[in-house]
Amino acid sequence: MIKSTGKASTIARTLMSRTGFSSSGIILIAILAVLPFIPPFNSEYILRWLVVGAFMAAQAVAFDLTAGFINVVNFGFAAILGVGAYTSAILANTGPHIIVQPGISPWIGIFIGAFASAFLGFILGFLTLRLRGLYAAIMAWFVGIALLGLARTLTPLTRGSLGMSPPSFFDTPSNMPYYYLALGMMITIYIVTKLVTTSHIGLAFKALGQNFDAARASGINPTFYRVFNFTLSCFFAGLLGGFYAHYFVSMTPKAIMHTSKSVETLAIAFIGGRGFLWGGIVVAFPFVFLLEYLRSALPQLPGIHIIIYGVLMILVMIYYPNGVAGFITELKKKLWRLRKPEKT
Amino acid sequence: MLPISCFLPIWTSLNHALKCKGIRMVILQVIDMVKKFGGLTAVDKVSLQVEEGQIFGVIGPNGAGKTTLLNCITGAHKPTSGIVNFLGEENLAGSPPEVMCKKGISRTFQISRPFPRLTVLENVTVGAAFGAQSHARESAEERALEALEYVHFPLPEDTMAGHLNAVQLKRLDLARALAGGPKLLLLDELAAGLTEGELADIMKLIKRIRERGITIVIVEHIMKLIRGVCDTIAVLDYGKKISEGKPEEVMRDPKVIEAYLGE
Ligand SMILES: Nc1ncnc2c1ncn2[C@@H]1O[C@H](COP(=O)(O)OP(=O)(O)O)[C@@H](O)[C@H]1O
Ligand SMILES: [Mg+2]
Repeated sequence: MIKSTGKASTIARTLMSRTGFSSSGIILIAILAVLPFIPPFNSEYILRWLVVGAFMAAQAVAFDLTAGFINVVNFGFAAILGVGAYTSAILANTGPHIIVQPGISPWIGIFIGAFASAFLGFILGFLTLRLRGLYAAIMAWFVGIALLGLARTLTPLTRGSLGMSPPSFFDTPSNMPYYYLALGMMITIYIVTKLVTTSHIGLAFKALGQNFDAARASGINPTFYRVFNFTLSCFFAGLLGGFYAHYFVSMTPKAIMHTSKSVETLAIAFIGGRGFLWGGIVVAFPFVFLLEYLRSALPQLPGIHIIIYGVLMILVMIYYPNGVAGFITELKKKLWRLRKPEKT
Repeated sequence: MLPISCFLPIWTSLNHALKCKGIRMVILQVIDMVKKFGGLTAVDKVSLQVEEGQIFGVIGPNGAGKTTLLNCITGAHKPTSGIVNFLGEENLAGSPPEVMCKKGISRTFQISRPFPRLTVLENVTVGAAFGAQSHARESAEERALEALEYVHFPLPEDTMAGHLNAVQLKRLDLARALAGGPKLLLLDELAAGLTEGELADIMKLIKRIRERGITIVIVEHIMKLIRGVCDTIAVLDYGKKISEGKPEEVMRDPKVIEAYLGE
């Protein structure tokens, strides 16, 4: 009896470390889980910010899988997320405004959308295969622009710039169920990404990202790992796109797929810390709150959030290239070193 | 009539000669390798034959095409023309580097290429996890630790590779290449910049690696090392092989002396 519980706890502990949940990570998740019941977060107005926070955090994790590991900045990320959103929205359509009325449940459509995005990620992986760093990023950017253009011109399916109003996931005006859905997606994406990146697959990603030629000379097949990386990251993007469609229930190509949306995700992922995955989660919530607050407090300055992103990005890139997560990790190490001599 | 036993000494010496020359397996064969960069012919119809268990040296002045030759063997460059046979497999020229690595060719780089934001152990684990012996029974980490110990890596294995100096990086490159479990190891100027003591150390290490059954091709400038460890050397000059043989013979070859004086 005692033995088996001991075993179970060891398994739990190894699983915890493989999935990257330190005790502080679990505390963070617990806080996020109870937050909607604590004033002032229990108001619908602020709950909406929390939903956006979880949504941005999940995006940052998926984005970091590519940018922080194989070292390719996917400027087409938002456009591919939009493909998931549009796929699910079109599949759910029942109205007369577009030419098809499949009427498929958003709960199914979101996965079909994710597979559509994954397929595009697969193609993007091949397109960027021969390109290094910056050139791959530019290629991804072009693909994003092309997809945005496609969403604008395929008016019979998307209504172009007029936008669509897909049905919502839940039959309630409350943000509460959406918050837990977004939080669940964020945690799932984090766990899957962490499991992949702590395995030898992650080692191959990092090796390819840090020295392409040495990685190949060590036996790593760049085609497989890069295409796999793009496919997985874009699958998550598509899933989040489906969430967008059936949460905001109003979408235009520009609002989802524009490159500036990719840049917002990039900013959160980079300020959070490249290659740490959880950095974006830590940064996304305070960020969304700060920006939403500024937006409501200073309505006369509509572009203020871009300026803040820009300034913070510059500061991080110059002074802390490892971002917030890198800072916290180093702080922990220093504290650990201070504690150690006392023990021995 | 002569008794049959009279022939015995002749027979044994003949047998010995065959064993030394013909019977020994050729592990790497390069035939008429050519590599052009635009108008420049960096490697010009070079042919080599490396036997199993040999330490084969490639020397020549700077820019002679030594690194390019290694790159064409490992697949880092696609040769313009030429044939590479390795371990009984024919016509491997132009295969991608990851395929050549899986087949058993590992290498180090003239300018080390670490994964700077990985630890020393992770760097070597990459070699172990994806190299020729990636399906070995022991875990990749175990084999990586063993390789680090084998090359006497001087620092803790959790040091970030980005913090190492040039000499330590060369050792790291070597450990990563060894961890893959290669049959053939290509070393590109491994000993550049070493002190006398470190040089003696690396020569011992190279010999120990050969004793493990790994065939070695060395590109090197340091003649002391070449004389000390190589069984056979080939000399390149302007992309052409101008001489080949035992080190002491080759060093006396007037063509070789001229090539080096001309530098
Ligand atoms: N990637 C490349 N592109 C163009 N020229 C190259 C390239 N690599 C090597 N070369 C040229 O090929 C010749 C041989 O270079 P290399 O093989 O590095 O010589 P070595 O290793 O013997 O010093 C040099 O003239 C060099 O400039
Ligand atoms: Mg060279």
